[in-house]
Amino acid sequence: MQDTLQTLVSGLSLGAVYALVAMGFSLVYRTMGLVNFAHADIAMIGAYAASTFYLTSHLPFAVAMGLAIVITGAIGLVIERVLRPLENKDFDLMLIGTIGFGIVLQALAIIIWGTTGRAVPSPLDSAPLDVLGIRIRTYDLLVMAVAALAVVALAFFLSRTKRGAAMQAVAMDHEAATAVGIDVGRSNALAFAIGAGLAALAGGLVGPMLYVDASLGGALGIKGFAAAMLGGFGSIHGAVVGGIAIGVLDSYAAGHFQGYSVLVTFLVFTIAIMIRPMGIFGERTVSRA
Amino acid sequence: MSRTPRPSVPRTALVAAVALAAALTACSAPGESDSEAGSDSGPIKIAVVNARSGQLSSLGEWEYKGAKLAIDEWNKKGGVNGRKIEMKSFDDQGDPTTGTNLARKIDSENYIAMIGTAESAVTIAMAPVLKQAGIPNITSGQADALVDQKSPFLFLNGPTSTTYDSTLAKHLIEDKGYKKIAMITNNGSFGKGEHDAFAKAAKDLGVSPVTDQVVTTDQKDFSAALTKIRSKKPEAVFIGSEEVEAGLIVKQARDLGITVPFAGAAPQGTPVFIDTAGEKAVEGTIVSSPYLSNDISPAAQKFAAAYQAAYGEEAELHGAKAYDGTNILLTALKSSDVATGRKLADAIRATAYDGLLGRFEFGADGVGITETAIGVIRDGKLVEQK
Repeated sequence: MQDTLQTLVSGLSLGAVYALVAMGFSLVYRTMGLVNFAHADIAMIGAYAASTFYLTSHLPFAVAMGLAIVITGAIGLVIERVLRPLENKDFDLMLIGTIGFGIVLQALAIIIWGTTGRAVPSPLDSAPLDVLGIRIRTYDLLVMAVAALAVVALAFFLSRTKRGAAMQAVAMDHEAATAVGIDVGRSNALAFAIGAGLAALAGGLVGPMLYVDASLGGALGIKGFAAAMLGGFGSIHGAVVGGIAIGVLDSYAAGHFQGYSVLVTFLVFTIAIMIRPMGIFGERTVSRA
Repeated sequence: MSRTPRPSVPRTALVAAVALAAALTACSAPGESDSEAGSDSGPIKIAVVNARSGQLSSLGEWEYKGAKLAIDEWNKKGGVNGRKIEMKSFDDQGDPTTGTNLARKIDSENYIAMIGTAESAVTIAMAPVLKQAGIPNITSGQADALVDQKSPFLFLNGPTSTTYDSTLAKHLIEDKGYKKIAMITNNGSFGKGEHDAFAKAAKDLGVSPVTDQVVTTDQKDFSAALTKIRSKKPEAVFIGSEEVEAGLIVKQARDLGITVPFAGAAPQGTPVFIDTAGEKAVEGTIVSSPYLSNDISPAAQKFAAAYQAAYGEEAELHGAKAYDGTNILLTALKSSDVATGRKLADAIRATAYDGLLGRFEFGADGVGITETAIGVIRDGKLVEQK
């Protein structure tokens, strides 16, 4: 029982990170109908940027995270600007464009930070909490709290602000949105920037839990993407549920199947997707592809 | 009107003849097919193959520096029998497939010997190609599977996992009196070798692990495995994994409240392991290593000083191993008057050498050294266990 709960706790904190990654995937997808394959590598850049400001420049962790989010947000804007001429013209090229940007970002990370990664010490010094024999890292609690806050903020932005409403409108029907005077380009740019910011948040938070190197994107991206699929691509709530589901599933699989955990995680994922191809909260109407 | 091409009898015969010729060439004794490799003038070409990118790149970096230091010293003294040594570094990315391609490349570019790799899996993948091409290879790998290759061209510049781990198991069980030992290893070549070697050594001493956790080589979160280990309340935890992963395991274990010491072989004595886990987390880690510190002998002090002067950083085990291995190769080249192929391999086998790690005397299995010592990490430094 104690084991089961301990595994659950570690699954939840990584799940919160996957949820953040999945939210970024979904936000861009629902607005533009595009899967941003550079997303995970933006998260990796975010992790490197946050760790550099935190470790090398000795800034407080929160400030380092803020700077990382701003930097990656700018990268998101650049990617969107480069791809904009292709919007509504050549979808496949846009998709390949994002893959290309991902490769560029990885190469850039190796040029800037070298090939050896870095382990980031936890920004919270306090010892892990001991609740009925279950050790809970205080940092894990922070990660979950920040992720929850980000979910609430994003939901508020999309449903309560004018900009957010405009993005929703573009997501539903971009031609009708253009007709009523919404700037689709700006809306897309905003989606990309917020998506990139979420990636940096995920990357920065996961740094002290895992290990920051140029291949970090691979580990985060595949699970984050799976989380978005499981929850229903394009759905923000789905991304959260999917992220936590993948995190917990992965955690239990690692406990029971050891070296074969990845295989088991994705087998279960495949079966779930076969049973419900649109994901848990999948809305057909969002799909524009 | 169309004509259907039909293979004529002579053509079939020709194809068969070509195939037969190819098969015959392939079957010729290893080392004899590459007569052009050993030209009698010009620089001696030696390839250094190691991971220069990816998670294992720190290993590759040390190896490269150790090998380069040895070659530079020889070149400064005038090379081998008046010929300069030319060394080129190749990046295998820690990937066996890349390694196999590089093995073909160094064959086609007529390198006469290879130093590396530090990754057992890559070396094992390269071994058949190098054996066929007759290129002697001094590896820094330590997995027992290297010996199982039975290649007369493959040499180890250090002890095998069995040596590391039987020394370690003996220390933990007999000297410390631990009966409850947990294991966590990865499923790569190195980790698997460590797993089998330690499990066997412990079993021979009448102890079986309380839990035996296997993780993947690219795993980053070990909570599940560590939770299992914690619930078994072991007295020590054996790690069979490379530097970075081992560091992450220890870091996360301390967060989960595992306070017992960790024990392991070469990777756990390195600065990368200590930096990854954090100095506080690795305190008391027990390490089995043939090169505990730069102060173990006058030769080691001299090596460390030269290393410091050349690269501005402290030397460690892997650099020392590569330095020893490269010196053995160059000594063999000198004694054999720059032989190649089988003759060079025999010359390496015949070379007895007093290195930084101890006295090398190669057996038929390509292992030159069969002893390690026990050290312990105190205040972020590996020191000899007194």
